[in-house]
Amino acid sequence: MLEQNAPFLFAALVLAGGLAAAWARYILYAIIGLGVSLFGVAGLFLLLGSPFVAAMQLLIYIGGITVAIVFAMMLSIAMTVAPAPRNRLKAVFAGVCAIAFGAAVLPLVQAAPFEVQAAAAPLETWPVAGIGHALLTHYNLVFETLSVVLLLAIIGAILIARSGRETAS
Amino acid sequence: MSLEGYLVVGLALFCLGLYAVIAQRNLIAVLIGVELMMNAASLNIMAFNRFSVTDPSTGQVFVLIIIGLAAAEVAIFLSIILNLYRLRRAIDVEQLTGLKG
Repeated sequence: MLEQNAPFLFAALVLAGGLAAAWARYILYAIIGLGVSLFGVAGLFLLLGSPFVAAMQLLIYIGGITVAIVFAMMLSIAMTVAPAPRNRLKAVFAGVCAIAFGAAVLPLVQAAPFEVQAAAAPLETWPVAGIGHALLTHYNLVFETLSVVLLLAIIGAILIARSGRETAS
Repeated sequence: MSLEGYLVVGLALFCLGLYAVIAQRNLIAVLIGVELMMNAASLNIMAFNRFSVTDPSTGQVFVLIIIGLAAAEVAIFLSIILNLYRLRRAIDVEQLTGLKG
């Protein structure tokens, strides 16, 4: 029972959190919605047979990125300031854009003849060791490039965040 | 849930992110919209990985790389937001019109 309903439960979490994140005017509510949505995506990853990536999603996205966004929120505009009113024209335009995009892609999703594997591979045949082996052999260049990119991003973030400090105070 | 179900969830999440990127006025909310779109993409990759790939570690490696790049992007984006706030006292996209002709 729960086994069959779990995907729909997590999909509902994803969409509800995404709706809150997209619609909220108060930035804290948007961050909470983002967290709920990311949690739902992690649950879907788990159901899709990737417990390792689901754990990484929880650790990096919810534990790292969401918290970093909360810090940025606290360091920028004060919570007590009321958020700017919704720009009616822009909201309508954005809604039209999003609905038009969805309506354009949805028939493609339904019409495309995807080849679907008949039997679901059990969880035990997709070990973490396979991911580690792929990362260090076939995808080694991507892995190393990503680590360099992360290092540069950290240094760049520190430099950018520090640069205005002397002039501002 | 079938492959189409996961793809439709990913599409809906992408549309929500698109709405947030266009409609929200706060730069942090725009960043949240970008994150929603990235998650929609990785959800799609994961669904294809589960349903129609022979070597299942491929898609997981892809999604791990997406997560790592998202972390780098968020770090840069947040430091730019902090710097903007310090220089301009505003992170409302409609007040940041320094490049407007």
